[in-house]
Amino acid sequence: MPEFSLIIVLVIALALIFDFTNGFHDTANAMATPIATGAMKPKVAVGVAAILNLVGAFLSTEVARTVSGGIIKEGNGGILITPELIFAGLIGAIVWNLVTWLMGLPSSSSHALFGGLIGATIIGVGTQAVDYNVVAAKVILPALIAPLIAGGVALVATRLAYMITRRDVGKPDGRGGFRYAQIFSSSLVALAHGTNDAQKTMGVITLTLIAGGFQAVGSGPTFWVIAACALAIAIGTYTGGWRIIRTMGTGLTEIKPAQGFAAETSTAATILASSHLGFALSTTQVASGSVIGSGLGRRGSTIRWGMAGRIALGWVMTLPASAIMGAFAAGLALLGPVGIVLDMVIGTIVIMALFRWSRRNRVTHHTLLNDIDDAGRVVNIKKTPRRPTRRGRGDRRKVSL
Amino acid sequence: MIDWSAFLIVSVASLLAAALLVSLYSLGLRLLTTAGRIPLVEPHEFTGAITVLSPKKAAKQVKRARKAAAANPLTPGLKRLALYAGFACFVLCGVAVLYGVYLIVPALHQ
Repeated sequence: MPEFSLIIVLVIALALIFDFTNGFHDTANAMATPIATGAMKPKVAVGVAAILNLVGAFLSTEVARTVSGGIIKEGNGGILITPELIFAGLIGAIVWNLVTWLMGLPSSSSHALFGGLIGATIIGVGTQAVDYNVVAAKVILPALIAPLIAGGVALVATRLAYMITRRDVGKPDGRGGFRYAQIFSSSLVALAHGTNDAQKTMGVITLTLIAGGFQAVGSGPTFWVIAACALAIAIGTYTGGWRIIRTMGTGLTEIKPAQGFAAETSTAATILASSHLGFALSTTQVASGSVIGSGLGRRGSTIRWGMAGRIALGWVMTLPASAIMGAFAAGLALLGPVGIVLDMVIGTIVIMALFRWSRRNRVTHHTLLNDIDDAGRVVNIKKTPRRPTRRGRGDRRKVSL
Repeated sequence: MIDWSAFLIVSVASLLAAALLVSLYSLGLRLLTTAGRIPLVEPHEFTGAITVLSPKKAAKQVKRARKAAAANPLTPGLKRLALYAGFACFVLCGVAVLYGVYLIVPALHQ
């Protein structure tokens, strides 16, 4: 079946592209706060996250085995999902991931993937193919509860950290020491992310291979699938979604080392507890909730609720928006080979357009560092010239302890 | 279908774990400070999230830390005790992180 193989190759390529977007979308979860507090250099931080994601992807294949998790009733007596539909779902997920990245919104990549697949399935097979109870129990409810749990935990943790290290006014409290701790806590989050998220793509590819008859039903991912997915997510992570890192690190609240450590620890604890006691929570939502919680926990800090609201809106939109795009792509894909080609062309054009749009105001780790200068440029304020210091480059040596 | 008790268990478990870890590390820092070894860690890069002090103010902080350490009311023995207790807290914290790694890697606990 040569034409059947072609669609499978396309699905695998798209799945790897999705894995890449997943990586750079989620770098912020682990690394936004250590970058924001200066615990690690931005490039070092994303490098560490990339390596831990790569390692993490090889550590476990459990999630991959249960990826579709019954949301779409597939196989044995149910309705078999075709590679064409997975293809369409992936297009929806990738496009939505890029849109949210462009807006700098930390949104769940898994929800984008599920949304895309659900949309494609509704068009391709019918509304009865989607198990809405499972969608509610496994996707929508955890999405509401994850930020609440993580936020509460981070609030308590931040309060504790400040309470224990509190000293009389004027006496040094040594809170800069939390910067060392942040390195470890954020690495833990990155590792946990690697074991979870690369799996989803492995699961999709394996599902496709099984559907195409290349692999036995019920078998796990083969080595080359694991290696390819691990590499894709690591490269994506290293590319660094600087827009989202900026939102998480500086857009929600001003993060100090103690808060950063409390937030990362809460994220790690919540993710580990949830994945070991029953259900998986979205890393992105847990991490965002933790950052807000740590902002609430420190006296005198402010939270930009407008930004928090935008992020929450992004979460609500993720499932339906990627479902609509997945459905649209599926509608075309069902026309046959012409539709697939059309899908490819439209998808490429949209992705190119999004990238071109992103070039207008680039966000890299450089722009991340001088946010204030950037803001000055936008409102066109004439900057007062820096006063020359005695030591020449002396003004570069700014210190915060 | 919706398992409410699971949510409850997860929130309690993560609360306890995070509170324990953060408390341990904070206690370690506190003991270190008490022992006169105040950790002053400079950030690697300066982002918008960091309150930047002028070099003068920073030097003042370092001086104040040194002064506070010198004016420490503890006896040398107590200071050493506080220092070791602080290190013990960090070690416990490290063990907790390793337990986290153990939980992440399924090959280790199955």
